[in-house]
Amino acid sequence: MTAPTLTKDAAASAAPVADADVGRTAQPAATRHLSSLVRPGVRRVGRVIWASGAIVLFLLLWELGPTYLASASTRVFLPPLHEVLRALGSLIAKGQLQNHLAASVTRSASGFGIAVVAAVALGLLVAWYRSLDRFLNPLLEVFRNTAALALLPVFTLLLGIGETSKISIVAYAAFFPVLLNTIAGVRTVDPLLIRAARSLGLSNFRLFQKVILPSAVPTIFTGIRMAGTSSILVLIAAEMVGAKAGLGYLIVNAQSSFLIPDMYAGILTVSLLGLLVNYLLVAVERRFSRWRTAVGSQSN
Amino acid sequence: MTRGTGPTPKISLRNVGKQFTVRPSKDQPEGTTLTALEGITLDVAAGEFITLVGPSGSGKTTLLDLLAGLTGPDTGQVLVDGKEVTGPGRDRAVVFQQYALFPWRTAAANVAFGLEGPGSDGRRLGRKERADKARHYLELVGLSGFEDRYPHELSGGMKQRVAIARSLAYEPDVLLMDEPFAALDAQTREQLQEELLRIWRSTGKTIIFITHGIDEAVYLGQRVAVLSSRPGRLKQIVDIDLGERSGDGDIRSDAVFVEHRHKVWSLLHDEVRKAQEAGHAKIRPDGSAPDEAPQLSQGRAA
Repeated sequence: MTAPTLTKDAAASAAPVADADVGRTAQPAATRHLSSLVRPGVRRVGRVIWASGAIVLFLLLWELGPTYLASASTRVFLPPLHEVLRALGSLIAKGQLQNHLAASVTRSASGFGIAVVAAVALGLLVAWYRSLDRFLNPLLEVFRNTAALALLPVFTLLLGIGETSKISIVAYAAFFPVLLNTIAGVRTVDPLLIRAARSLGLSNFRLFQKVILPSAVPTIFTGIRMAGTSSILVLIAAEMVGAKAGLGYLIVNAQSSFLIPDMYAGILTVSLLGLLVNYLLVAVERRFSRWRTAVGSQSN
Repeated sequence: MTRGTGPTPKISLRNVGKQFTVRPSKDQPEGTTLTALEGITLDVAAGEFITLVGPSGSGKTTLLDLLAGLTGPDTGQVLVDGKEVTGPGRDRAVVFQQYALFPWRTAAANVAFGLEGPGSDGRRLGRKERADKARHYLELVGLSGFEDRYPHELSGGMKQRVAIARSLAYEPDVLLMDEPFAALDAQTREQLQEELLRIWRSTGKTIIFITHGIDEAVYLGQRVAVLSSRPGRLKQIVDIDLGERSGDGDIRSDAVFVEHRHKVWSLLHDEVRKAQEAGHAKIRPDGSAPDEAPQLSQGRAA
């Protein structure tokens, strides 16, 4: 909590009259009543400042480091932040970035969607039918432990360098996290709940629909979130190897055309896209597992 | 032993026995059988409140599973209304110690759980009817206004109230309760015991209540059935007559209560000691008992 105190002091000395509330909390003689009112808000602001501190420092380093610390030759390969942002701005202005982004998002969304549907369906079957599990599990283990990118040449050879191969490899990479989590989710349903439902005379199908599936949803969503991250990861790599559009292509193409700021602009877009996707999936996950919030504190 | 002298008893156990095959372990490569219950014969009249006490591992829960139809007996018969139990049915409801509420459903949705799907008369209830019934039964257990709470937002006592409302909601004749108040604190437990008696009087359900609290057994039951240590046999049935309960007085300090309590205590005491010496522990739903294997390995080491 050192950062907020510092900023408060600064604020108080800068504008002692206008910002009376903040100023007073900074003074030791401030009334308890007032400080207790103001403190939660101040604390939150402080926490935000503290939490974004590392990012701000990193961006500052990026901006100032190449200008003042690096040699001229390095500066070419590591342009300061403002140049990258300018490049990003012009890419947006020319509409190029939007095209690449759209291409990438379409591919990863399609592959991801296919993976989720297929993996949830197969996961439910595998978790429900033990014999199917015993039959498929060894093969699934082999595939799961084969890095998706190692198969990229195979996908390219068989499906060409068009959309099909890229969507397929994204689907492949996203498939396994969802599959494994679906299986785990179904397997770890509280047996007591199954007993309770059985004592009501529920049929297998109803049991599945009303007890097993809803209780597995949070675990499935964890898998979906993992799949979201890896689908973007794999797609960028695939686009780097062979594509005519997409963020991966933008990065590699900028590099080989010596448009270094453009390259960094592409990288920046990739990380922002990843953050956004993760944020969205976390929000969806939270929406579907609201009831789970206090499982840990249950007095069982 | 037969108290229900009327036509057919509501529930009738005829020489019921149940064995489990203990899965082969390192110590016992061929596996063994574990006799949980042996020769249980018991009649319960309609509308009766009977409590079941017994030491750990005496097969209380197994007996309840048999009544619920979750498992079948190896010997003898389990009859409800004179008909053999072949599986779970909506004429019987189970209340578990750990509440077994569905955490993704609100209190009202939990209560309505048993109302979804075709009822005993084959009719399906509409959404509105289900909600009305859920509200009604939550009110009956004293939880009006908590319809939209999730289980994790409720205290242990409230959770158990929801669980009781859920099992009452689809209107079974028989309530099977497996140590329902064991996980609650003493005050909540007493409160819920009183409410259960009130619900029992107002609904006229037949209740079979498993507990290992002697006080609880004597306080609630019209009869207390004492089970022996494993294999569980019916040791004795104690009739409890506490007279007319006004509900105001402290019935537990009443001389008659103390006398009954002592009687059950002495019956149980020997059995608990026996069970402890044998190191009996709870029989798990899959039929294994954690005490069996280690006991043998200890014998080997000695």
